[in-house]
Amino acid sequence: MKMKKFIAVLSVVSMMAVAATGCGGGAGEASAAGDSGSEWDAANAITVVSREEGSGTRGAFTELFGVVDEEDNDMTTLDAQVTNSTSVMMTTVSENEYAIGYISLGSLDESLVKAVKIDGAEATAENIENGSYTVSRPFNVAVSPNLDNAVAADFMAFIMSTEGQQVVADEGYIPVSEVEAYAGDAPEGSCVVGGSSSVSPLMEKLIEAYNTVNPNAKIELQTSDSTTGMTSTIEGSYDIGMASRELKEEESAELEGTVIATDGIAVIVNQNNPTDDLSADQVKSIYLGDVTTWDGI
Amino acid sequence: MKSKAWTEKFMQGVFFIAACASVLAVALICIFLFANGIPAMREIGFIKFITGEVWRPNSEQFGILPMIVGSLYVTAGAIIFGVPIGILTSVFMAMYCPKRIYKPLKAATELLAGIPSVIYGFFGLVVVVPLIREFGTMLYKARIVDNPGNGNSILTASMILGMMILPTIIGTTESAIRAVPSHYYEGSLALGATKERSIFRVIIPAAKSGVIAGIVLGIGRAIGETMAVIMIVGNQARLTGSLLDGIRTLTGNIVIEMGYATGLHREALIATGVVLFVFILIINFSVALLKRGADRE
Amino acid sequence: MSNKTTISDKLKTYLKHPGSFIVMLLVMLAAVITFAVLIFLIAYILINGLPHITPSLFSLEYSSENASVVPAFINTIVMTLLSLLIAVPFGIFSAIFLVEYAKRGNKFIEVIRLTTETLSGIPSIVYGLFGMLFFVNALDWGFSLLAGAFTIAIMILPLIMRTTEEALKAVPDSYREGSFGLGAGKLRTVFRIVLPSAIPGVLAGVILAIGRIVGETAALMYTSGTVAQIPDSVMGSGRTLALHMYVLSSEGLYMDQAYATAVILLVLVVGINALSSVIARKLTKA
Repeated sequence: MKMKKFIAVLSVVSMMAVAATGCGGGAGEASAAGDSGSEWDAANAITVVSREEGSGTRGAFTELFGVVDEEDNDMTTLDAQVTNSTSVMMTTVSENEYAIGYISLGSLDESLVKAVKIDGAEATAENIENGSYTVSRPFNVAVSPNLDNAVAADFMAFIMSTEGQQVVADEGYIPVSEVEAYAGDAPEGSCVVGGSSSVSPLMEKLIEAYNTVNPNAKIELQTSDSTTGMTSTIEGSYDIGMASRELKEEESAELEGTVIATDGIAVIVNQNNPTDDLSADQVKSIYLGDVTTWDGI
Repeated sequence: MKSKAWTEKFMQGVFFIAACASVLAVALICIFLFANGIPAMREIGFIKFITGEVWRPNSEQFGILPMIVGSLYVTAGAIIFGVPIGILTSVFMAMYCPKRIYKPLKAATELLAGIPSVIYGFFGLVVVVPLIREFGTMLYKARIVDNPGNGNSILTASMILGMMILPTIIGTTESAIRAVPSHYYEGSLALGATKERSIFRVIIPAAKSGVIAGIVLGIGRAIGETMAVIMIVGNQARLTGSLLDGIRTLTGNIVIEMGYATGLHREALIATGVVLFVFILIINFSVALLKRGADRE
Repeated sequence: MSNKTTISDKLKTYLKHPGSFIVMLLVMLAAVITFAVLIFLIAYILINGLPHITPSLFSLEYSSENASVVPAFINTIVMTLLSLLIAVPFGIFSAIFLVEYAKRGNKFIEVIRLTTETLSGIPSIVYGLFGMLFFVNALDWGFSLLAGAFTIAIMILPLIMRTTEEALKAVPDSYREGSFGLGAGKLRTVFRIVLPSAIPGVLAGVILAIGRIVGETAALMYTSGTVAQIPDSVMGSGRTLALHMYVLSSEGLYMDQAYATAVILLVLVVGINALSSVIARKLTKA
């Protein structure tokens, strides 16, 4: 009987513990909201947020900041949080005062997070164009060399025209210079475009713009990822593939890649973070895990 | 008359073939997963793959031990949070709930099952993660833990998964409790036992197999959950000893990197799926064995 | 045992048995936690989603301006119907085989049971991988509603099998014996007598399955693709509501619309649940 009572008491205690965290859920939320303006303590550890291994954004980021070893292997600290979604990255940084992350410049929402200057240069399209902000990567599209889809070919021509590149510039990306006005013959038919989720929002706008000059074309947009985009184009299920990174060797052997735009990568921190300016070396040491607190920079 | 007998035979054949469909499906899934996953395991080395602690696909290091441990951690955590609350809630639903509010409450638990996991993910990211971060900082200041963590942690994922398996557990446990003949309960009351004693000493033991079935279903759901977990668990592919640290699960590893993976990396991810599949097989077989043992008793 | 125990009686019992009182408190506490979490979650979705439900969200054509849910909604319906069309006959027939035809203790039945249980335990991401390797690549269907529907059909098959089996088992043997006694054959007995009485149970399984289809993301991401339009045929690709929401939320550009989509999904689930209880009531009355 004693044993049974002991077990009962034990289970009660453990239940209470669970309940306490559960109740904390209701009560704590208000206080968390109230605390968001609390004073900044630079001695706190940096929450490093990274994209997933193999992502075009991560590849470009680690390469540009030199977060690699001698053999160019990605050496991002294993303590870094990993996410495969821009919105999770932004939400995490906007919720966590001590977080740092990086996202596509086109997705940057300055009401949520703050983009820091790198070596004194602000992350803007102009600065990327004039070369003072160097953290950028190409948006590629690729087609098979023996493409026989008239719509796909014409759509490619449209993307690389003055009109198409105007859309690129309007969306906050850096257009390709030296293009001519669109002179296509607006063929009838359909084609499938698919690949990188980073390129997808831009491609959506491009397709809508194209449909105004060529209402006869029906273009399907598949949002997946860079690699699926390239392999599916090789296999023929996509007519045009999108990649937010350079084409890999085995891919460029079978596809013709074209750079349609350049996208900046913004390094973002929480809005309560007083840091406005970081040097490339500082970013590098944060992502290598050499510096772990904000006052250690 | 003859044609009738023929129809009987024919339909029996149809039923038999339909029954084979599930066997065929499992066989196909096995064949396709194993055919795509085993070569990678062989290339990496089976032991190295299972027990390797470093996952750096870009430097050809494929060790999934951290992910295996991660899946076990969050599943165990989900059970600790979800099972007691789930079972007690189903006791409430079956034995205490006033008739008038039963229907809305029942509808509500069914609704809980229908909420897509992405919603749980964002809920966790915006509400639970900051709470756990505060909780961690509190423990850190009280010198109970060495590392405050940043909220995206095993603990957070356990809580959200615990919430997600609630409807599964409540549904099966409640129907198991209701299936216990009412004279068990009445007999116990007539012998002078209190209501609570009758429930926990007579009804729950009688409903044991249903309750266990519910828990097993819950474990399956917790170990297989993907979309919500990757948003809140941090996804660091390394071993950790602290519940306030993040970790990566097997499912997370697949979804996060599948998009960009090529060659051996992609095969290693499918091999991760194989490991997950084998996990589920082991759970199912041990439950089947347990059941057989119980039946013999 | 009369139900008219007064509160003071109850209090006296609890005073005598403090252990029971604590257990009762725990039960209440657990219920409160569950429903508090639930209300919190639903309120969270509604607060974030309701203000963003605008007329443009219901435009017939999807564009990057309106992020319309209509194509995704229609795709969801098509996907649900397609996968039910595949899974329900298979599920019902195999349940009939297991309950009405197979002999007791047959080894083959055990194999079927074990595989069914295995199927119900497989994570949806593994289904997604398999669907991509088999339907999309090996059968060369490409990303299509059909590939998605087949993948989902395998996923819900065990659910429909199990509920149908339970429902068939619940039909009293006297029904079958009566039918045989009147000279009906086995097939006639199954389709005219046993199956109709088991319909409510089967429907319950179907409704559960619909709930799973509507909320599924991981398995569809790699099979049905993510085109935001209504495809011309089932061989085309299209995204369902849950997938639509996932894609909207993943780039962070359409968070408001993603929450609004979540509200619509929630309404859909409530609608399906309500429909099921209405159907169940009608059938039990009849």
